[in-house]
Amino acid sequence: MMKVYAIIVKELKEYMLKPGAISWGIVFPLVFSLAFIARFGDIDHLVPGLVSISALFGTTSFVSSSIIFERRLRTFERLLLAPVSYGEIILAKILVGTIFGLMVSTITLLLVLHFMTYPLWSVSLTALNLVLSNLTFAAMGVYISLAISNPINVMTWLNLVRLPMMFTSGAIASLTLFPHWFLPIGLVTPMTYSVDGLRYGILYYYDVVPPLASALAMVFMTLLFTLLSIRALRRLY
Amino acid sequence: MSEPIIKAVNLTKRYGDFTAVDGISFEVRKGEIFGFLGPNGAGKTTTVRMLSGLTTITEGEAYVNGYDVKKEKVKVKRSIGVVQDVSNLYEELTVEENLRFLARLYEAPMENVSKLIKDFNLPAKKKFGKLSSGYKRRASIVAALIHDPPVIFMDEPTIALDVRSAKMVREMVRALNVSGRTVFLTTHNMVEAETLPHRIAIINHGRIVAIGGRNEVRKLVGNEVRVRLKVEPLKSSIIHALEGYSPAFDEDSLVLKVEDVDAFMDELEDLKRKLGFRVLHISTELPSIEEVFLELTEEENGEKGCACGGCPL
Ligand SMILES: Nc1ncnc2c1ncn2[C@@H]1O[C@H](COP(=O)(O)OP(=O)(O)O)[C@@H](O)[C@H]1O
Ligand SMILES: [Mg+2]
Repeated sequence: MMKVYAIIVKELKEYMLKPGAISWGIVFPLVFSLAFIARFGDIDHLVPGLVSISALFGTTSFVSSSIIFERRLRTFERLLLAPVSYGEIILAKILVGTIFGLMVSTITLLLVLHFMTYPLWSVSLTALNLVLSNLTFAAMGVYISLAISNPINVMTWLNLVRLPMMFTSGAIASLTLFPHWFLPIGLVTPMTYSVDGLRYGILYYYDVVPPLASALAMVFMTLLFTLLSIRALRRLY
Repeated sequence: MSEPIIKAVNLTKRYGDFTAVDGISFEVRKGEIFGFLGPNGAGKTTTVRMLSGLTTITEGEAYVNGYDVKKEKVKVKRSIGVVQDVSNLYEELTVEENLRFLARLYEAPMENVSKLIKDFNLPAKKKFGKLSSGYKRRASIVAALIHDPPVIFMDEPTIALDVRSAKMVREMVRALNVSGRTVFLTTHNMVEAETLPHRIAIINHGRIVAIGGRNEVRKLVGNEVRVRLKVEPLKSSIIHALEGYSPAFDEDSLVLKVEDVDAFMDELEDLKRKLGFRVLHISTELPSIEEVFLELTEEENGEKGCACGGCPL
């Protein structure tokens, strides 16, 4: 665990201020949220979506920019040469992405809270769903960053996944407003569970997935993407 | 003879249909500098990557410090320090932060960090990204020593360095070896190969074409040296008189192939008197690695010409 901690501290020092993490990870979600606040006065129903989008972009931008850098500059091989297991490397990458995503999504949440008509319903359930959302997205980001064989293409693939998710997850427009045939698409979108989980914590209602189910789904996806990432890393070297 | 500290048996790496390393076998003795020579693309880096566990071994076996590279990965990792062919420390971290980070990964005592910084005179508080390429390489070499490993792999450590930094790196290699470590050094620099290793292997197209002590290997390609000569005035009669040494022009000098340097010097003195010229510059050079390869593959194929048969070079 000391090694995981050492890697996390190293990552924060090395990548926190890199352009990839700043632009897509911090600036984009905050500007996006501000744009919605400016456009619609009453944003209560949008808050879970905006927070989830911040978590998605914060985590995935951080982990992908760090992994792309490390694969291209071959600093990644430093970790592989050291007596550190693949599991420890993946765990560290996921946790540091989660920490960064939590920072960004918490800032977003505090920002949009100011513009809400009603107060936040449950701080603890919101916090729990925020942590699970960030874990899920960080693990997904690590997997995508390692599964793509040429690191130059990682950003393209990442956007191919995360931009449509903003619409298929009900983050911006509720899934209940879409035709029935769209629901399965919503249910296979990992982000749906984050949005509905957060919705329950913040607003005390959900659109399609009950709170326990969304929490379990996020735990399951975190584990799944963790295992897939370890396998992708093993394939890569 | 002491037991081998690195042993490769029929080591092979294939990428799809392409065989990068083709069944090589060799042993490195404890405490020696082993030079692994070959032109670009010969398979040097791939060999280092296999031996250090960075890439899987397609076929064959390898043992480092008595441990099986395929089965005892962690023990092998603790036994080796690897200096890769790029200086890959973390740019935004200072030299000291980089070393402290690696000390944590290797569970090495933190005293090692300050000791190494002092011993190798590194700028501790400077960010790695801000160092010159020479110091980056120096820091990368030091980083491989953090856990005090008995075996060091160095992959072309002087490549892309200026003359002064390259010299500094060569001195470091020698110092590491004097302090008792075994060094596996890859290079395509013949001068380096002439001065550093106790024994060398020459690899070409993934196969070992020569292995042994420096002089043994040199004898395989003949005892010829290149003599570079600058004379004034340069007359055609001089060139004519030196015909036997296959004279060639390189800028304003004559380059000759000479086997017996002493006899050649005597002959040159005679010529000077007879033909009336002055020698402005004379030096000897060892054959370049490309020439060594040409010679070796010529013997193999029994023909002159491009060593790699049909390659565009
Ligand atoms: N990951 C890889 N995939 C495919 N071919 C590779 C890979 N790595 C190296 N090669 C090929 O293997 C050969 C040997 O490469 P390398 O070991 O890097 O040579 P050297 O270090 O001696 O210059 C080269 O032809 C190179 O193109
Ligand atoms: Mg190489």
